[in-house]
Amino acid sequence: MQDEQNAAQRGYSTREELQKSRALPPIEKVKEKRVCIIECTEEIPCNPCVQACKFGAISKEGLCKPGVVDWDVCTGCTQCVAICPGMSIFMQRIEDGKGYVTMPYEFLPEPKIGDKAQLLDRSGKVVGEGRIVNPTYQAKGDAYPRWVVTVEMDDPELSYEVRAIRILE
Amino acid sequence: MEDWRVYKHPILEFERGKEVTLYLDGKPMKAFENETILAAMYANGVRVFSRSIKYHRPRGFFCAIGRCSSCMMEVDGVPNVRTCITKVKDGMHLRRQKTFADKFAPFLNLLNLSPLAYNRMFTKPGIIYKPAMKIIRQFTGQGSFSKKIEESGEEIMGIDDEFSTELLIVGGGPAGLSAALEAGQRCDDVIVIDDKEQLGGQLNRQTHMFFSDVKYAAGKRGFKLGKEMVEKISKLKTVRVLPKTNAIAYYPMENKMLMLRSTDRGLMVKAKKYIVAVGAYEKTLLFENNDLPGIYGAGGVQTLLNIYGVKPGKKGLMLGTGNVSLIVAYQLLQAGIGVEAIVAPSFRRVSGYLVHAAKIRRHGVPIITRHTILRALGKQRVTGALITELDEKYRPIEGTEKRLDCDFICMGVGLTPSYDLIQLFNPKMVYSSELGGFVPVRDMQFRFAENAYIAGDCGGVEEATTAVLEGGLAGLYAARSLGYADEEVSAKIDEYEHALEEDRGSPFSSDIKAALQKITVENIEEVIK
Ligand SMILES: Cc1cc2nc3c(=O)[nH]c(=O)nc-3n(C[C@H](O)[C@H](O)[C@H](O)COP(=O)(O)OP(=O)(O)OC[C@H]3O[C@@H](n4cnc5c(N)ncnc54)[C@H](O)[C@@H]3O)c2cc1C
Ligand code: FES
Repeated sequence: MQDEQNAAQRGYSTREELQKSRALPPIEKVKEKRVCIIECTEEIPCNPCVQACKFGAISKEGLCKPGVVDWDVCTGCTQCVAICPGMSIFMQRIEDGKGYVTMPYEFLPEPKIGDKAQLLDRSGKVVGEGRIVNPTYQAKGDAYPRWVVTVEMDDPELSYEVRAIRILE
Repeated sequence: MEDWRVYKHPILEFERGKEVTLYLDGKPMKAFENETILAAMYANGVRVFSRSIKYHRPRGFFCAIGRCSSCMMEVDGVPNVRTCITKVKDGMHLRRQKTFADKFAPFLNLLNLSPLAYNRMFTKPGIIYKPAMKIIRQFTGQGSFSKKIEESGEEIMGIDDEFSTELLIVGGGPAGLSAALEAGQRCDDVIVIDDKEQLGGQLNRQTHMFFSDVKYAAGKRGFKLGKEMVEKISKLKTVRVLPKTNAIAYYPMENKMLMLRSTDRGLMVKAKKYIVAVGAYEKTLLFENNDLPGIYGAGGVQTLLNIYGVKPGKKGLMLGTGNVSLIVAYQLLQAGIGVEAIVAPSFRRVSGYLVHAAKIRRHGVPIITRHTILRALGKQRVTGALITELDEKYRPIEGTEKRLDCDFICMGVGLTPSYDLIQLFNPKMVYSSELGGFVPVRDMQFRFAENAYIAGDCGGVEEATTAVLEGGLAGLYAARSLGYADEEVSAKIDEYEHALEEDRGSPFSSDIKAALQKITVENIEEVIK
């Protein structure tokens, strides 16, 4: 039963579904640099990501169309991660055999470099343990305070799945 | 005693005032200035506020914004005070109404003292009415004033103030505030009122970032957006802001509106034009035991948690998969409160945005679709819920019942437009399920009565950006018809109309758009005559 569900019934898109809709960056890009992934597949009226990208890497055909990333242009600056109201923008990077996922974080405890964290996939399943490498607190004009956190994981494959963390105290 | 307050939150800081002492049925308890009585009681673990008249069922709170009257208590000798909108004061004496029955509730139920539950009984002959009433009220009534208060002989409310204005805006949510901003920059004399102490409407309890166009609201957290708008308005000399002012009646013959200020001062205002932006209130759901303390509206939980920083429970069950339900589930997680599951009958899809659903799925909260709640479990408060699977015709499938563990149940099953005030303008009301309930027919300029405009959720439940845009437009339309018409106003109107069209461009809005078209007419005069 669970398998037959589509994204809208399940409440999230799977890696395969995202791949099909070309939301995931090609592997060469992920190995070359940190790039952004927009997991926002529905037509909703929203555009902060387009405005937030200083490099013009994100475009939308209209207010309601899903955002499209130009991975050649994306610098991995994380401004879009910090502002996305749907918390649906992430960054992925594979380097030296390790995986890195950057994500918005709005929970406690506050993240610190070196913190250990449980890695959760899109369904909330714990798929491993990782380390926090680069937490930044983004509070531009204090309109949208939010942590943007990068976690490192030993299995690079996991960087396709991990979308949330639970920091272990 | 366990303290249910949240002291550390990832997004919010709670401004608690000085510590004060309240007395609940004589027992002291700690509270902070700025808290409502409801928040203070909850923080102290009190869950039953009164008992129902006939079956002595325990009563808790539901809406937390003064709309449902479920939270009433006797406060300093005054019965039936809505504790969710009354702030605490040092030394306040609170009494739970009819809870003498706490111990005897099952016994009283058995006896079923139903005749005593009706004030109609013993009205004749006249001489027995008074003593009989006294006894009935003792047992079942909604309380009486203390001797002290009765003897002080306070006047029945009169009209303390009366004035006129160009434009009166009722409701200080995003729609009303936006109307005040636009009209205030053009008209000479605008008043905006709201029954709450703090303007901002629904925005005040939203901690998440808003969608939509960055030009209007997107990327800002709701409560900040409200504050920003209030600040901008406070800089306009043309706008008077009256908080704690409740519009209770409108007299079409005289074109006057009656308001209650701070619960005891009458105010009559005659305005050339009115903008009604009174928002919407929460719907509820029918199931066995749905009146137990611990069953709340999603908005009620937001108020308690996000405004006062008090936990509604330890683990909740959410009903409904609309955006409100999904967002509140996430906010519960943020405050460290468990969410057992989200349950909804939806077959085709979760009804809210997928991104909101994904936010809670990735934190491990299951969304159980094709299911509904059968019954809330528990006697004095919620201890669980019984859910069942549904077949294609939404009938429960026997043998699929499942028990879920939770100590509160939160309904996010939609909003319905507030129409009580609107109706007094004698508009043509129609029912629209797409718009959430009864709404008035209006023209292209949002006019639903001779002198009145509508904006925001009360004209059809949508979201904050559309409320801001509709409110802005209503303010501009009103200004124009008051004679403040120039090219700049027309250009601004064009801009807003275009933005509104664009904002409703998503498939999520297509039903709403069609429904709005159906109730919009060319000439409102023909409809209201
Ligand atoms: C949980 C939740 C999440 C939401 N998330 C989003 C989102 O992400 N994006 C989005 O765009 N929208 C969102 N919304 C919707 C948005 O908050 C509302 O659509 C919007 O606030 C409606 O604005 P309004 O001005 O029409 O009404 P309201 O905000 O309801 O304001 C009406 C005001 O009028 C006052 N009032 C009512 N009657 C009277 C009276 N008789 N006298 C005086 N004052 C009166 C009320 O107290 C209130 O302050 C959300 C709503 C909820 C509940
Ligand atoms: S009126 Fe207080 S909870 Fe509804």
